[in-house]
Amino acid sequence: MSGQNRLLAIMLGVLAALVLVVGGLSAVLLLGGEGGNSDDGDGGPTGVSSGGEDNGGDGASASGRLRLASTDPVTLDPHVAGDAGSAEYIVEIFGGLMTITPDLEIVPDLADSIEVSEDGMQYTFTLREDAFFHTGRRVSAQDVKYSIERAASQELSSPVAVAYLGDIVGVREKFFGLAEQVEGVEVIDDRTVRFTLDAPKPYFLAKLTYPTAFVVDQQQIEANPQNWTRRPNGTGPYELSEWRLNERIVLEANEDYHLGAPNVQEVLYLLSGGSALTRFENDELDVSFITVNDIDRARDPNSDLNPLYSTWPQFTISYIAFNTNVPPFEDADVRRALAQSIDRRRVSEVTFNSMLVPATGVLAPQLPGYTPDDKTFQFDPEAARASLEASSYEVTEDGRLLGPDGNTYNITVTEVGGGAEARIDTQAFLEQWRTELGINVEIRQTDFATFLADQDAGRLQMFNAGWIMDYPDPESILDLKFHSESNLNDIEYTNEEVNGLLEAARVEQDPERRIQLYQEAEALIIQDAAWIPLYFSDSHVVVNPAVEGWFEPPIVIPRLRFVEVNR
Amino acid sequence: MGAYIIRRVLWLPVVLLIVTFLTFTIARFGPGDPVSVAAGQFRDPAVLERVRAERGLDGSVVEQYGRWLRDALRGDFGESFQQQGFTVTELILPRMWVSAQMGFIALVLVFGLGIPFGLLAARANGTWVDPLIIGTLLFMRAIPVLVVIPPLVWLFAVQFNRLPVGGWDGVFDIWWIADVIAVPIPDPHLYIPLVALSLPGFVGVARLVRYTALEVDREDYVRTARAKGLSEGAVTFRHVLPNSLLPVVTVVGFALASIIEGAFFVETLLGIPGIGRFTFEAVVSRDYDVILATTVIFSAVFVVMNLLVELTYGFIDPRVRVGASRE
Repeated sequence: MSGQNRLLAIMLGVLAALVLVVGGLSAVLLLGGEGGNSDDGDGGPTGVSSGGEDNGGDGASASGRLRLASTDPVTLDPHVAGDAGSAEYIVEIFGGLMTITPDLEIVPDLADSIEVSEDGMQYTFTLREDAFFHTGRRVSAQDVKYSIERAASQELSSPVAVAYLGDIVGVREKFFGLAEQVEGVEVIDDRTVRFTLDAPKPYFLAKLTYPTAFVVDQQQIEANPQNWTRRPNGTGPYELSEWRLNERIVLEANEDYHLGAPNVQEVLYLLSGGSALTRFENDELDVSFITVNDIDRARDPNSDLNPLYSTWPQFTISYIAFNTNVPPFEDADVRRALAQSIDRRRVSEVTFNSMLVPATGVLAPQLPGYTPDDKTFQFDPEAARASLEASSYEVTEDGRLLGPDGNTYNITVTEVGGGAEARIDTQAFLEQWRTELGINVEIRQTDFATFLADQDAGRLQMFNAGWIMDYPDPESILDLKFHSESNLNDIEYTNEEVNGLLEAARVEQDPERRIQLYQEAEALIIQDAAWIPLYFSDSHVVVNPAVEGWFEPPIVIPRLRFVEVNR
Repeated sequence: MGAYIIRRVLWLPVVLLIVTFLTFTIARFGPGDPVSVAAGQFRDPAVLERVRAERGLDGSVVEQYGRWLRDALRGDFGESFQQQGFTVTELILPRMWVSAQMGFIALVLVFGLGIPFGLLAARANGTWVDPLIIGTLLFMRAIPVLVVIPPLVWLFAVQFNRLPVGGWDGVFDIWWIADVIAVPIPDPHLYIPLVALSLPGFVGVARLVRYTALEVDREDYVRTARAKGLSEGAVTFRHVLPNSLLPVVTVVGFALASIIEGAFFVETLLGIPGIGRFTFEAVVSRDYDVILATTVIFSAVFVVMNLLVELTYGFIDPRVRVGASRE
């Protein structure tokens, strides 16, 4: 017995020693870890500097190096990219006939001059003499034709080609295998190329600024069809000089860029690592987004983040959509009642700490046609109850809706989510619908893929969604989302008057009149309560004071060459 | 013995065939598909149909599986939709390396800490230490990996600001002594994931060792050993420990399973670019080829690991040596 006790004592002693050693060791390691970090200084995370050129110290970052946090692009092939993350890189590396300036003007890029035919159906582009690929080869009309045909080809099967290039005669035919060539793209001579459209479309030039219409190098792609995007040859202001999956992407300035050489020599994208703000504060990054967790600190005038903090409006809108084919939402009065009984302004203040701007309509700030006055339904419980009264539905005891057909309907709002907790604003809206109208709305959460499948099949009754505009034209939201013939009209909204306005705007050559048509359509759409526009979003960032001229454009545009780093 | 190994190894392709076919079928009957996800905002049904056809996502499930199998046998596991322009193999290998390094360290921790703690609890049987250890272990056992991470992050990364919130920076970090001597130390990014990964396995092993050690302690030969005057240490390390380790070997497979399972959560929550997170992302975006490839890898690891466990078991305990009786 005593032997056992002695052994116990010994083992406890060993354990205590072990705890001490492990504890002491980890304390040392933690301190060491910190020491290691501060020692690394500007050299970036150790994992990155271990390979490639080591910038041991501040030497390399002294001038002209911008450090950003990002992720690997889905693809660097401009013709298949459909996501903003990929486009961020692509617009810097590649270029097309047209581009967008920081002021959101549509201006020529590879084109020198553009001639539009009387009927608005033919666009003749003359190419610049000084537009070259990174390899030094001059861009020719043949390159433009090759690029459009590649984008529209069956082999590439790009999910976005028809959406962006479908206005050009023959693109659909080629995509669906009915034609060898794209008939609407003709090479007139080495420097001239002509596009023929299926209808006069004033927004056509705006669509050409999207990567799908960018020019790629035929020689490079044919020499290396599988792997060319790893070191793509483009015509843009920056050249990809290094890409290590999950680690980093390095862009080098194209000194000969025809629209003006970039100010920043090298842009380093760090593709992994923890909190961007922490790394920003450790001087490992030059720009960081601010999340709702840190927003109070950024806004606090006494915080050291505050002078570095700025917000930038984006061309995005989030909304609640009603499937206008599904009861009870075929009745516009029911939709209106729901729209009038929620207080978006207050919900935005309380739940999002005012990081989201309550939407004033469908068109976001900076879009042509946007007006700052609030055109949406205001929070007005009285009016909401009156709308419900005017509808053909009645609220039952248990908070459902009894229709004129004698059926009662449950209302379910679907949103993308993990299932643990609903979006906090949705929960607030649910509460308001219950108290103001006595309607019990249920929440259903699905993963993104399921949501898309349900949305495509028209199975959603009411859902939370968002839309990101791709070019600064009201067409890229109003026509795409609300014309009854559009594939993207996922709410089955049909209003002949709206259709008429949208169709007139498509071909209206007078810009002012055209914008007016869109504004009229927007007003009707809001009146019909097809959507409840919820918020426009802002981009919240902090920028290192050594970086000059940083801006967050509302859509993806080439911007790096306008930025300066003074270190 | 040799024949047994060969027979077991020959089962591997059969297991893989069944597992991949099931995964393939289940994935395709779920709602949504990679083309639909990759298309983003532009959703023209005719276009999506065309893209599906071009990407080999048309035809019956059996046809599609046939195509996948044919390519896979040639070593072509397809292309990811989430990371285009790279083969699935190219994408998986670096991530596997990250997970393997972390998993290996976790496995070492599980047994390196689990066995001493279990033995300690067994030795302390009858005193207050035993229920303390067991109570603590049971308490920790009841916490899912998912729940362990946020408080650890909050405490060490947010409150004390000692550890990074997440991410991956290799296994080793360099600690400079006076800017001259470089000492390799475990990277601070590792600590939180390792605790979360090894906790369930550690608890399981410790409890098992305690239980078996107590069992063995009641055996006649242990009593005999004590009776002939051996010291308590000699009894423990010469008789009790080796015999209580036997069942522990069998749980290596389970421990590995819990580490792989944990990797899905740990890597996803802490932003570690390993294969668990990659698989999770692939499932969310219905990236079929990636899901299939990781399934093949996980299944192969399990099968091989279990085989190794069985062989080791035979090695430690000759009584259960497989096929031995026939020789």
